[in-house]
Amino acid sequence: MRNIYHSVEQRQKLFIQLYKTAFPAIAKYISRLGGTADEAKDVFQDVLIIYYEKMVAQALPEKDIAYMVGTSKNLWLQRYRENNRQVSLDSIDIPASEAETPADKRLLNFLAVAGKKCMDLLKSFYYDQSPAAELAQQFGYSGVRSVTVQKYKCLEKVRETVKQKSLTYADFME
Amino acid sequence: MPTSWNNPAQIDNYLGNNMSNGDALVFEAHLLLNPELVDKMQWQQKTYMLVQSYGRRQLKQEIEAVHQQLFTHTKHSRFSQKIMALFKKL
Repeated sequence: MRNIYHSVEQRQKLFIQLYKTAFPAIAKYISRLGGTADEAKDVFQDVLIIYYEKMVAQALPEKDIAYMVGTSKNLWLQRYRENNRQVSLDSIDIPASEAETPADKRLLNFLAVAGKKCMDLLKSFYYDQSPAAELAQQFGYSGVRSVTVQKYKCLEKVRETVKQKSLTYADFME
Repeated sequence: MPTSWNNPAQIDNYLGNNMSNGDALVFEAHLLLNPELVDKMQWQQKTYMLVQSYGRRQLKQEIEAVHQQLFTHTKHSRFSQKIMALFKKL
């Protein structure tokens, strides 16, 4: 299905609904095996991220509760049962993105402040895959054309910042 | 096909498989001849990776806000009590 959760409010509704329908079963399972409330929370929140990304990629039927419960169980077992607390999101069943290095984290912190407007726009285009018409409205542009022009301006601006900062941080780290 | 090979839109179309086969072939020829284009394409890929990480961070914050709402607002107290009861030590 197509992602229809393009705004924070729409996603908030979705997550509340998923919490109410899927979390009780997951919490029950984890508590039975001796897990804690915090562990259940951590696992479920990561599963919500995986679920959202799969939904955006149109790789899941809508509100697939069985999938969420199954993935949560597996993730909890991997993390807390097999004494391997280092299992990250990337090692389960989402497409692996490159691991974040400390330099990437610094860069991301920098962009989140200095380039926030562009990062928010790019994130909506690429991560949420929201349609340009909606983004024009959301970000206050006159139409699809102007928001698309802005997307490419941002892409260029962020790309140049990433290049410059990466080279600086690389020098700094060595 | 525009002549400005280095612009982010062309690279975006190429990386997103949104080019015709013919245009993609021409683009690849430019990649062979133009190290500057290769450089820009690599930084653009890195940018996409960072945008993905940024998206995850934002989503995680949104989810945490929902969690706080569900476990602190009285409106949802039946739900939160039901969950917390599961973890009470006997």
